[in-house]
Amino acid sequence: MKKHRIDPDRCIACSACVAQCPVTKATQRFRGPKMVGPALERMRLSEEDVDPTLDYCSNCKNCDMACPSGVPISTLNMLARAKYYKIHKHSMRDDMLAHGERMGKLAKTLPAGAFFANLGMNIGRNLGVLRMVGISDKRPLPSYASESFHKQFKKIRQQSFPNKVVFYPGCYINFNDPKVGLDFLAVMQKNQYEVIVEEEFVCCGSPLLVNGYLDEVEENAKKNTQLIKKWVDKGYKVITCCTSCGLMLKQEYQELFEIDGVKENAKNIYDASEFLMQLYDEGKLNTDFGTLQEKYLYHAPCHLRAQGFGLPAMDLLKDVAGVNIENADAGCCGVSGNYGFKADKYDTAMAIGGKLFGTIKESGVRTVVSECGTCRMQINHGASVDTVHPLTILRNVYEAKK
Amino acid sequence: MRKDDVIVIGGGFAGLIAAAASAKRGKKVTLLSFGMGTLTVGSGIVDILGYNNDGTAALTPEVAVKMVEDDHPYHKIGLQAVKESVEFFLELCREEMYPYIGSLNEMKWIPTAAGTLKPTCLVPKTIDVARLKEIDTIYIVGFHCLKDYYAELVAKNLKTSLGSDNKYEVVMINHQFSGGRDVTILDLARWLDSEAGRAAFIKELQGKIKPGAVVLIPPILGTAPDYLVLDAVKKATGCHFIETVTIPPSISGLRLRSMLINHLKKMGVRMIEKANVMQSILEDGKCVGVVTDGIDRERSYYAQSFILATGGFYGGGLISSELGEVDEPIFKIPIQIPITQEKWSNLNLFSNEKQPFAKIGIRIDEKMRPLDEKGNLLFENVFVAGRNLQGYDFCFEKSGNGVALTSGYQAAMSV
Repeated sequence: MKKHRIDPDRCIACSACVAQCPVTKATQRFRGPKMVGPALERMRLSEEDVDPTLDYCSNCKNCDMACPSGVPISTLNMLARAKYYKIHKHSMRDDMLAHGERMGKLAKTLPAGAFFANLGMNIGRNLGVLRMVGISDKRPLPSYASESFHKQFKKIRQQSFPNKVVFYPGCYINFNDPKVGLDFLAVMQKNQYEVIVEEEFVCCGSPLLVNGYLDEVEENAKKNTQLIKKWVDKGYKVITCCTSCGLMLKQEYQELFEIDGVKENAKNIYDASEFLMQLYDEGKLNTDFGTLQEKYLYHAPCHLRAQGFGLPAMDLLKDVAGVNIENADAGCCGVSGNYGFKADKYDTAMAIGGKLFGTIKESGVRTVVSECGTCRMQINHGASVDTVHPLTILRNVYEAKK
Repeated sequence: MRKDDVIVIGGGFAGLIAAAASAKRGKKVTLLSFGMGTLTVGSGIVDILGYNNDGTAALTPEVAVKMVEDDHPYHKIGLQAVKESVEFFLELCREEMYPYIGSLNEMKWIPTAAGTLKPTCLVPKTIDVARLKEIDTIYIVGFHCLKDYYAELVAKNLKTSLGSDNKYEVVMINHQFSGGRDVTILDLARWLDSEAGRAAFIKELQGKIKPGAVVLIPPILGTAPDYLVLDAVKKATGCHFIETVTIPPSISGLRLRSMLINHLKKMGVRMIEKANVMQSILEDGKCVGVVTDGIDRERSYYAQSFILATGGFYGGGLISSELGEVDEPIFKIPIQIPITQEKWSNLNLFSNEKQPFAKIGIRIDEKMRPLDEKGNLLFENVFVAGRNLQGYDFCFEKSGNGVALTSGYQAAMSV
């Protein structure tokens, strides 16, 4: 039996999850995690169909964090959603948003593909096509980088070290924001680590899961698990910079599927800041830092908080590297991966992020720091500030050393 | 290796108070919590002791505390520390601009959503019942289509519990929610957080109540730990507002929790959520670290002292097996239990006797350190606070948050 088995009967209906659910707070249309999750799970065992308000769950996992009994409420919801799509057809919109990797690969393969993909999105917005398929035209879609991370990585000549880690970039870093991957690489080199990039890794499955493509998530899970296992068996740690990828690889694979090797893999998958803090604890972190003048605010992605090891980026930047940074601690940003890109969810997503946007504006900072790529997009959109990954700041502190 | 002065395990009222009091002493504190803790479920009021051993109403909390049996946590903590902890809490609330009222010398009887009165000690200003006895006209505010709150029921039962001389008038208010799920008290409290919601509510009220009366309402006066909404409705109507105590989620509990979390942040306490502590690392009769059991891997946290505030059977601090054994999972502290499982409970739920299962818990010394069956000290640097303590039935005697506050404080003073 799994150590962390899913047992809806452990729910004692205390409603702590309802009090913490950002979607419940933002809209009356959602019946709330307690009802849609464990309570209705009992009905789903006998009924074919599911409650339509299940569509409102964003899988942000604040319910799981609130639950005193350890019920993975959001995962129950995602399983129910998958069941729903066994007998219902997906919309074209969900197909597009779930398959960002497919689009990214296309943009990467075609000559000047990224340029045309970005252009296409802008034209699509102006012609009202996005709205027609149900994607919000009120916010920018993630634009494709002119060169993927994989491509850029290959051009870099790393200094060789006996210590090596395997990097799992994930779709967003690979196709949209390669700089994060490059900054990670630079930081690891500063710490005398060589970075291995496994090109066969596929999308972790997070965007697929929230749109109910469970079978595809399982396919990806099996593939990634096999690849990660190959490295873990050789004694390597696997590092992620995206907290949703990390959560998926370590936790959701275990909750959703029975795949050999997942549990052992999970022990060896690290968030980048957590890994660096472990080096610090062992006295092995390069602490030859310079000084940054700018003041920052940090936003903790829900998918990091849900992992139960605190906020290692804050420990690293504030306590260890001496960066002038404070935790915004203003809750979910609202975007939840591709949730906030859906036309019918846009207002809910922006209402959820309202508190965070207000906190950022009040603080007067120009740059907000956060691990999650879509959190960064949402903050950029909602609070009109620059956003960066913690490792970009860490690289800057290293490079500020004269 | 990073090492804290104090690690508090548990984010309920006892844990939050223990962390706050430790931080005030200048300690470097990490709080490990799993789930939201009791304050969402229980209420944000602090009962100290409402009923005596025989089930009769206590005169004042202080008098009742002096009369507890030897195995009661208050007996171990002592009246002096109980007094200090109440002062500590009241001062913390004042500092956070959300002052509580009440003292050990006065029993407050506050109205519940069932129209009964319950004894308590420290309450937010939204439950100030001082005027309840002086004013004849009591409006009972209800809302159309509000889940789990019946103004008629409150009015009917108050005639018995509070007295039939008063004039009770039920006032029904329209809220502005239409469509979607059932409306809850939490929805209404959030509605009043907004300026538009407050204005609409006040307008509705003004047409239906006359100044100078007492207004009993569900706990909807905002979700933030401040009195902004209370002051606004008071000023607009000239009435005295009293919130009733309701079922979960507890709005007054959420406010108190927010206030304490805000305070801990200011005090520099490191808080780690979803940290499921399942083991301890012991060396020579001391605890050097605790281990969390994540779905991915175990993680160790090190400190000089540890405060165990993991709750009782409900919170997971005590686990009972079907075989009638009780286990404290982290330190494996031996727990004394009634010999046969049949004797765990008293079948008359509302009788004048405490429930034996409620009194099951960890035996402690004056410094809140755990003892074994023979009374020997188990660990010199582990301290216990809250619902996992032995010797009290909070439900029977109305002492839940009181034991949490005083034992959390005492544990922090002992580290």
